[in-house]
Amino acid sequence: MSVDQKMADTFSAQEFLYREADLLDARQYREWLDLLTDDIHYWMPIRRTMTAGEIDDEFTKPGGMAFFDDDKKTLRLRVERMYVGRAWAEDPPSRTRRLITNIRVIESSETEMATRCNFKLYRTRLNSEEDSWMGRREDVLRRVDGDLRLARRYIYLEQTVVLSQNLSSLF
Amino acid sequence: MAGLNANEQSSWFDPETGLLDRRVFSDADIYQRELSHIFARAWNFVAHESQVAEAGQYFMSYIGEDEVIVVRDRAGKIQVLLNSCTHRGNTVCRAELGKTRSFLCSYHGWNYDLDGSLIGMPGEDEFYRRNLDKSEWGLNHAAQVESYRGFVFATMDPAAPPLEEYLGWVGRLGLDMLASKGELEVLDGIHKNRIQCNWKLAVDNLYDWYHVKVSHGSAFRLNLMDDVSMSQLQQKVILGAYGHGIGGPHLTAEEFARLTDRVQAQQGDPEWFDYQAGWRVDANVQEKLGPVGKLSMGHPNIFPNLWVALTNQVCLRIPRGPLETELWWITLLPKGMDEASRRSAIYGANHFFGPAGFLEQDDGENWSHSTRGAKGEVTKRHPVNLSMGLGQDQMTHHVSGQASIDSVVSEHGQRWTYENWQAWLQSGSWDELKILKPAIPQDAV
Repeated sequence: MSVDQKMADTFSAQEFLYREADLLDARQYREWLDLLTDDIHYWMPIRRTMTAGEIDDEFTKPGGMAFFDDDKKTLRLRVERMYVGRAWAEDPPSRTRRLITNIRVIESSETEMATRCNFKLYRTRLNSEEDSWMGRREDVLRRVDGDLRLARRYIYLEQTVVLSQNLSSLF
Repeated sequence: MAGLNANEQSSWFDPETGLLDRRVFSDADIYQRELSHIFARAWNFVAHESQVAEAGQYFMSYIGEDEVIVVRDRAGKIQVLLNSCTHRGNTVCRAELGKTRSFLCSYHGWNYDLDGSLIGMPGEDEFYRRNLDKSEWGLNHAAQVESYRGFVFATMDPAAPPLEEYLGWVGRLGLDMLASKGELEVLDGIHKNRIQCNWKLAVDNLYDWYHVKVSHGSAFRLNLMDDVSMSQLQQKVILGAYGHGIGGPHLTAEEFARLTDRVQAQQGDPEWFDYQAGWRVDANVQEKLGPVGKLSMGHPNIFPNLWVALTNQVCLRIPRGPLETELWWITLLPKGMDEASRRSAIYGANHFFGPAGFLEQDDGENWSHSTRGAKGEVTKRHPVNLSMGLGQDQMTHHVSGQASIDSVVSEHGQRWTYENWQAWLQSGSWDELKILKPAIPQDAV
């Protein structure tokens, strides 16, 4: 990949990832959903504390147990949940801030880009509730009509036991 | 009251009124008493046999706040060992699960075999000068370990009755409602998360079919739940000795007959409800569950803290102090399940419960704020109300010996839980508990 191409890809990937993080922080969930391809796979495996000798097994595998293992239909339900009422984990709504960093384009073709990034998602609710999640993501961005769409998101959280009462935020 | 210091309060729940002192959800002394009088005495679920199928396979579990290693030893026996070096108390195992040849303490190198026996340590000859009897310094064991249909339980109390007697027909039925699906195997990956709530709020909620339409209102509005399978008008509550119970919706005999017809005529994928209940149509399963049990679509709780859920899962509500609870969702599927059913079962297990589940996201909100409501100095002086249905229902006895309360939504299950919980706290020993345990109501409830 030429340096020019790599810079152009990285810039467009950054712009896309910042834009969708902004939409989630602004609670514009339906607009966020529009940035996903219809065949999206959105997945957060379960992580376990393992010995150094068995650390290769620390994450569960695709197709098995996971915190998120969502297709577009399931993500649409998560989004619509925010609008139907009586979704108490988000009413009053959480206040969130997403920091997306260390963005790199790992592979690039005419149709897709495979990216890596780190994230911090800070959430506070009500007067004193705080949650902080850090991790890395592997996102596949697809080139659609001159723009990008999220086609795959794998989310690797640093926590094993999730130290919060729910995962009602999107990553 | 037996077993109690006269200066101590020993009554927090009044079964005559259904009023519960809310300090039981926040008080540190009551919590310590729960650890000593309930968790250190009861049979606690610690693992499923499939999690430790081979010698050396281990799984870290809890009995109250005591960390235990569940491990298959070289002789094929399942051991439940306190995770604490007998030398200085350091943990000898720090992973959640894995496979090992021995447990080596990272502090001074005391090394324990899979059955807990002390194999050796550095300086056995030179420093201890052969003056330490290794046979006396193995890891401490649970007093008793037994399995029921693959579910491994352990008790720290040598005086506890045998597991099957402890479970009684209700506890066994609760486990049968999952075990009768086939030869179960735990799926890799347990949802674990922490909620700032007292563990009992997470337990009694499983009998609570009053909350579903409000707490989980968003799921109803998204058509993930419906009034038929979540019927609040057609409920069955089953009460078992020592505090076990099963509560929730049930099928009528006519509905069971219609389910049988549908299952027998079925082509292609069944609807969700038939998928959840259809396996009960099998003659052997019907016999195992019995005439009352086969109709129950409710939630069993194996006292103190194991919920057997309809989603092919069990959930432990593990205490982490009076104000914090860890939830563990363990998913068990029958071996040999066809691929489509397996995918559907995994989808259900991943999406209903767990911290990101469509139902459970909202539960933590209520339990943590109910716990908060037990902290205010003045607020906590006011009891909470568990009176729904009190004195208004009848126990129905079946010729099989099974019995249930068939009525609308009620708080019979919650009252039974707290009445038994209180007897556990008031009892100084298993002998006292056997005397003090509440009698199962025979007629009016």
